Amino acid sequence: MTLPATASPAGLPLAGNGEATLSTETATRPSLAPSWWSRLAVRFESLVVLAILIVVLSVLSPYFLSISNFLNILLATAVIGVLAYGATFVIAAAGIDLSLGSVLGLSGVVGALSINQVGLPWPFGIVLCLVTGAACGLINGLLNTRAGIPAFIATLGMLGVARGLALVLTNGVPVYGLADPVVYLGQGRPFGIPTPVIIFLAVGAIAHFVLAYTRFGKYALVIGDNESAARAMGVRVERHRVSLYVVSGTMAGIAGLLFIARVNSGDPTAGLNYELTAITATILGGTNLFGGRATIIGTLIGALIMGVLQNGLNLLAVSSFYQQMAIGSVLILAVWLDQLNRRRRMR
Amino acid sequence: MTRFRSIGIGLAVALAATGVALSAQAADKPVYGVLLKTLSNPFWGAMEKGIHDGADAAGVEYFMQAVQSDQAAEPQLNTCNTMLERKPAVMITAAINSTILLPCLKRATDMGIPVVDLDANLDHAIAAKAGVKIAFTIGSDNVAAGKQGADWLVSQLGKDAKGPVLVIEGLAGNITGQKRAKGFAEELAAIAPGLKIVASLPGDWDGQKAANITNDTLTRTPDLVAIFCANDTMALGAVEAAYAAGKGQQITIIGVDGNVDAVKSIKAGRLNASVAQLPYLVGKEAVEKAKAVLAGQKVDEFTYVPTLVLTKAVLDANKDPLLQYVK
Repeated sequence: MTLPATASPAGLPLAGNGEATLSTETATRPSLAPSWWSRLAVRFESLVVLAILIVVLSVLSPYFLSISNFLNILLATAVIGVLAYGATFVIAAAGIDLSLGSVLGLSGVVGALSINQVGLPWPFGIVLCLVTGAACGLINGLLNTRAGIPAFIATLGMLGVARGLALVLTNGVPVYGLADPVVYLGQGRPFGIPTPVIIFLAVGAIAHFVLAYTRFGKYALVIGDNESAARAMGVRVERHRVSLYVVSGTMAGIAGLLFIARVNSGDPTAGLNYELTAITATILGGTNLFGGRATIIGTLIGALIMGVLQNGLNLLAVSSFYQQMAIGSVLILAVWLDQLNRRRRMR
Repeated sequence: MTRFRSIGIGLAVALAATGVALSAQAADKPVYGVLLKTLSNPFWGAMEKGIHDGADAAGVEYFMQAVQSDQAAEPQLNTCNTMLERKPAVMITAAINSTILLPCLKRATDMGIPVVDLDANLDHAIAAKAGVKIAFTIGSDNVAAGKQGADWLVSQLGKDAKGPVLVIEGLAGNITGQKRAKGFAEELAAIAPGLKIVASLPGDWDGQKAANITNDTLTRTPDLVAIFCANDTMALGAVEAAYAAGKGQQITIIGVDGNVDAVKSIKAGRLNASVAQLPYLVGKEAVEKAKAVLAGQKVDEFTYVPTLVLTKAVLDANKDPLLQYVK
């Protein structure tokens, strides 16, 4: 038995974080301040999978490798990607948010109705979209921490409530026709780049900064890694968890806004089952489902893996039946590669 | 730092492959793009067969895409955008709802690609406002299908029949289901006012849900005389629930689509009737007409393929010429 000398002396299971962005105040390990590259670090396997996919698809389809197609991929990934950012924050702290897709639908519907039916000026519509998402997140967080309902159950309940409310508000019919500036958010192309892509990447940059560089993000990872250690450090775990659900709800609100802007209509069935796709992207990107290890850039790559795969299979005209199998297989492959690597490092 | 070296190697390989792929650009020939809703439904399976046979007959090539379910609206939009990368000669699309594909179809219009509205899912006024030029719409007249269902029901029960009737609609907010239910309700009120619709509920195209709705309605209204379902999948669910409740003989059940499973059930004497929509014929004619459009010929803006009521008698006699298109 040769234990590495860096094993945490306090016996806290802080090790095993691999390339985690977890740091400093807690650190019983020698590496105190993480260098810039360890903060950017994403699971290497994800990059390999993405590179292999791009190579293979480029060879297989003559239509794959073009700027306009890559913009298509980014555009197709934008909504899921933003949702997956939300999932990453919650999962970083060992939580789960199953209501993401429904909250996306509800926020979009509220935004569309306030512009189209109530006749509020469009900036209010946008704000209401985000506020609706944040409010759902707040309720999720309070149910989880104050009422003591497990996150899985609380957000599963919200999944039903939010979807139902979206259908009730619209009577099940999509609300077509939004203000032009809102539609621009979804269909505009400043400098030839679709606006949702710009928003997707900009939100990603902010989210990455928050998760990797701020106390807020570090605490989330500490809670996910070891809740009692977080408490011992003086982190107000409950309050922090609520904030994380608010972040994930807000992300769902942004995704809802992108969705309605893209199709110029508030569809109450928007985002059906998207929570599972978002969580898949998060895991593909190297985030640990049980908390403590998470990066936004990883999630971005995870979402891109799915976007590239789907796009390539569409270009090859592969039946949608096989597409689901392909995504499932890639998920298992990526996590398996990670496990292999980890085991090797442990030896 | 082996990790970063490997990343570098990975990128180099990717770049190399990029070069290979660019040099391997295939020669372009006109290919039709076909975008359906989902293939996990016999209706779209029959449509696919019609498109296949129509393309064979017309001597054209096509590539087809569909999404996982008929509720996967945004994935369908993404798929549509991807299909445009292949620069199809024509886009034959069956949109999941009346607005979702508009951004993509506008791009198609801008690229000079004719847009065919398969199965009549688009609203021509809204599409025009969004900058989409629809070459033509082809599909089944859903209001007429509902009406035919009511006519057949009354021909069985008689004009003076009395009793409660249940209507199971499609997915909440879906225009096809709404039209079918509306056609049925209006015709029934006009020709047999004694038959009262006691509930009209969305079954989301789902047989399981339709079965539950049937059960619940039977609890409240045990003397139900008829059920009209906006598609066959739901009608089959309703049939099973009615038989399970011991009321299979008492209730006349009608579906719409004329799909394979419904035909089996009708032949077995369980489902009473289905208003067949002949998606095979819709798919076949869509390809033929698209070819005419590309050849510069004028085609009607709307084409409705006829429908027929399938019953055990009709199927056993096997005389109707349209039956060959029931797939």
